[in-house]
Order: sequence, then C-alpha cells, then structure tokens
Amino acid sequence: MRRASTTLAAALLAGCAVPQPKIPVDSYLGGDLAVVRSYAEQQVLDGAPENLALVLNVQGQCDLYLGDEDAARRSLLRAAQIMGTWATSGGEATAAVIGSESSKTYKGDPYEKAMNAFYLAYAYLAKGEPDNARAALKRGILMDAEVGDEKYQADNALLFWMAGRMTQLYGGSGAAQFFDEAREAHRFAVEHGSRGAPDNVILEAPERGNLVLLLPVGLGPAKFGDGAESELARFRAQPHPAVAAQASLDGVNIGPSTILSDLVYQAKTRGGTAMEGIRAGKAVFKSASRAAGVVLLDQAVRNSRRDREKAQAQAVVGGALVLISALTAAAADVRYWPTLPATVQVLVADVSPGRHDLVVDFVDGSGAALPGIQRRLTVDVPATGEAWLLVPSLPPPSPVIE
Amino acid sequence: MFLRSFAVGLLGLLLTACGSTRDTRVDPDAADSVTGTGLQSMDIRTMAQRFSASLQSDNILSPGKEGARVSFYVTELRNDSSDVIDKELILSNLQTELFRSYGRRVRFLDRSPEANELVDAERRMKDRGQVSGTNDRPVAGSDFALKGTIKSRDRQAGRLRSSYIVVTIQLVDLVTGELVFLDNYEMKTESEKSVINR
Repeated sequence: MRRASTTLAAALLAGCAVPQPKIPVDSYLGGDLAVVRSYAEQQVLDGAPENLALVLNVQGQCDLYLGDEDAARRSLLRAAQIMGTWATSGGEATAAVIGSESSKTYKGDPYEKAMNAFYLAYAYLAKGEPDNARAALKRGILMDAEVGDEKYQADNALLFWMAGRMTQLYGGSGAAQFFDEAREAHRFAVEHGSRGAPDNVILEAPERGNLVLLLPVGLGPAKFGDGAESELARFRAQPHPAVAAQASLDGVNIGPSTILSDLVYQAKTRGGTAMEGIRAGKAVFKSASRAAGVVLLDQAVRNSRRDREKAQAQAVVGGALVLISALTAAAADVRYWPTLPATVQVLVADVSPGRHDLVVDFVDGSGAALPGIQRRLTVDVPATGEAWLLVPSLPPPSPVIE
Repeated sequence: MFLRSFAVGLLGLLLTACGSTRDTRVDPDAADSVTGTGLQSMDIRTMAQRFSASLQSDNILSPGKEGARVSFYVTELRNDSSDVIDKELILSNLQTELFRSYGRRVRFLDRSPEANELVDAERRMKDRGQVSGTNDRPVAGSDFALKGTIKSRDRQAGRLRSSYIVVTIQLVDLVTGELVFLDNYEMKTESEKSVINR
C-alpha cells in the first residue's frame, strides 16, 4: 500500500504539464519573422526539451520564408526525426498516463507531421535533391496515415501530388500512381467536408506547369481543451482575412490558386485516440475523488465537536482525496504548431524560360485583394526544369528555387 | 500513513529530478540508442566495409596484367526510400573505405562539379602562364562509375510499423555500359507506437 501510494504520488508529480511555448503569432502574421525565428531559436536552446520538435518546426518554417533553406532543412529534419520516432520510454509513458498528458514529448498530430514533411520537401528541393524531397513526402504520407479513423488515413492530396512531381523531377518511377492517389485523396476529402472544388484543375493535369507556386494561406487550426476537465482535445478554425490567391506574370493573369490541403479539415478528422479514453477515465476519477473528498471534509467539520477522532480520520482521507484530485491531470495535451496556414494552395503555369515579374495577390472571402500582403517577386524560370516558389500569405519577401 | 508515503514519494521524485543527464562518447558501430527507423551510423559503416570487401573479392578494380591501374569515380546515390538520407555521408564513407582498401592501386577520380571547376580553373591559369606548371597530361578518363540506389518498403498497421531498406551499389563499365558489379545491403526495423502517441 505504502509502495503503491508512493509510486502514484511520484508519477503524478513527475507528469507535470509542459505548456505550449508562447510563439509570437501576432509578429508572425505581421511579417516580423525575425522576431518569431529568434524566439523559436531561443526555445530550442533553453526551452522545455519536450517542445523541441514544435519550436524547431517554427524556426524551420521562418527560415524557409526568410530564404535560408539550408538552415530550414536542418531544423525541419531534426523535428521530423523527433516526430517520426515511435519509441517512447516507459517513464515518459507512465508520467503521461498517470500525470499530465502534456508532460510527453511533443510529436504533433498527423496533420502537423504532414506539414513538416511539406516544408522539409521544399527545403530539399531547394537543395537540388528532389529524391530526398520525395522521401520526406513519402514519410509524411505514412505519418498522415496515423490518424485514428481509418477512413481518413490517405486524404492529403498535397503530399501525393508533390511526391508525384518530385518523382518526375528526378526521373524515378511511380509518378502516375502518386497522381492517381492525389486525385482519390482529394475526391474523398472534399466529399467529407474539406474546402476545395470537386473538380481540381491541378490534379486534372498534375504534370502541368514549369512554374509552381506553393501558397500557404491563412492561419491554421488552434487546438484547445474541451469538457469538464478539459479532457477533450478539439480544434477550431482561426480567423484570417486571406482565403485564396491569384497571380499575374508580367501583367498577365495566370489564374487563381487551388486548394490541395485544408488543414482545419485534416486536424478535425484525426479521429479518436487511445489517450482520449485514458483522459476520460482520469476525468471521471478526478471529479469523483474531488466530490468524495469535499464530502468527507464537510463531514469532518460537522463531526469535529461530536467525535474528534472520526473527524480527524475523515479530514485526512478527505484531504488526501482532494489532493489526489488536484494532482490528477485529465486535461488533454493541447500543444500545437501555431504558425501553420489554414490551407495550402497551388498555382501552376507554363511560362517561357527567363526572368519574369510575378505578383501574387491574396484575396478575402469576397474576392477582394488584400494589399497589405501582396507579394511582388522576380522569378527566373530555367530553360529546362522547373521553378518552384513558396509564397505565404504574409508580408515579407519569399525565396525562389530553380 | 498516507502523508508519510507521500513524503517518501516526493523525496523519490526529487532524487529522480536531480539525476544527471549524459554526454557520452559511443562506438559508431553500436546500435543507436536513439531509436527510429532508417539507416543508422552502424549501417552506414557496415555497408561501406561490406561493399568495399565485396568489390575487392570480385577483383574488378584490381590492376591489369601490365599493371595498368583501373580508374573509377563515385557518382549518384538515388534515394527512392521514404527515409530522408544524407547521401554524401554514405558515398564519402564508401569512397574512404575503398581508398583504404585499394590505396594507389586504383585511380580514384573526383567528378564532382566543385572538382571539375577547380581543375578547369587551374588548367586555364596554366595555359595563360599565370601559374607555374604545364598541362602535360589530359584530364583522366574513367573506366567505371559507381552508383547506387536506396529503396524501402514500409508497412504500417495500427500500432506497428516496419521498414525494410535495401541499399544497392552498381559498378558500370563506361565503355560497354555493362553492369560489372552489383551488391545489396539490407536492413529492417520494426516499431511499436506507445499508447501515449496513439
């Protein structure tokens, strides 16, 4: 009995919650990426080691948008290794089950792993290694398939489509299969509530275009705790004016963007997890032990004059129950990657080789351009090969890859 | 009784929290304690040694009867797997291992873009008399090229995942196009997902 209670107390305390790092999202949305990057870098060095993958992702994402693809690749790869490792120590598992779930190492939800793969693939493409870019995407497809609900396990068209394009770029085999899977993933996702048109112009001609714009648009879903004890992990969409993009090249309209990944849909369809059941049980235990403890304490007060010995026993047991209730952390782990976009959209064009002036306008729900985040870029399209650009709906300039 | 147990538990926790972490030098041939699927340092070293030994036993790179040295260069390693890999690490390890085995008995050529640029620049300067020396020898041609692929088969179901990786190296005769040597290195890992990540 003594050993059991000792172990329980130690585990409860060992499983202390690791809070979400305070990423300056407002600075991110304002285009002050250096501030966000600096915060993330500091957190990598001094922050909670359990949050390392999260802050590495933010750092890598900022590096990409700032045009430092080498630094981005290093950060995103480190994050990918953490997020992709299934092994967990017994101590960490015990602490997360008995104590707070957010004491565990952040490995992200499947949609976050998929986005790590997306950014990592772009960084490898920038390095001139489309085969490693495809490897990252294939790993992302596998990790996206980790959702609890089997029917949503292969519905990220973006990863399949990019894997097909990377395969073509390095002359590998299987591009057609990736494109088929991208079409199937898109069809399924749209049927089940994802944003995007059923007829997807990108996937109808997946090989088209020697100029490819990857457009992370808006702000991604926020994760929060719901239920009496915050034991339910939920996602909500976050407001952002940009919902789509359109572009012109040398003054000629090259069309609107097409949604290939809806992160809000991806997050909300992750399905149930084994930890949800555990948290639900902990929530019931927490409520019940608190109620019983309060009742016993109340009775202890009432009995304090009539039967001192009984009151003392009730106070000790009641106090212990209240303490155990207080130490039982039933709250869901709600750490999430807060700088992700709401959607990733794509725009492709067949253009003549050489230097071009590109203007990308992000538009709101009514189709009106948002001048504050208009992007004016110069792009060099090679005579052979393709030019890929990553242009987020943020103010600062973005990198160009050839 | 409970309070006493609680105090003991708290003491245990404090002792745990005060436990030291480690920075330890480990054998690169030892299995990785930082787990995960994919090639580990042990695999990269083992495959370099195995490929080198295999090439040596095949005698394909050995000097001819007149003592003419065979020349070759290491070209691309193509990654078809689902594991992002530093290809240069694998190739440079293999090249070093081959160099250790063959030494000066084989002509190792560097055909990387950086080496080509260096050679071109040096030859231009010599031609112009900007530096000492003459271009009295042609740039070395190659008899063979060594290339490779990394492929994987990944399976995932429920809480289990397996990854089977095959690294293949091939030696191509650059005159005939004949594949004169081929060898595989295979490894497989299995992972089980913890309940806290399910």
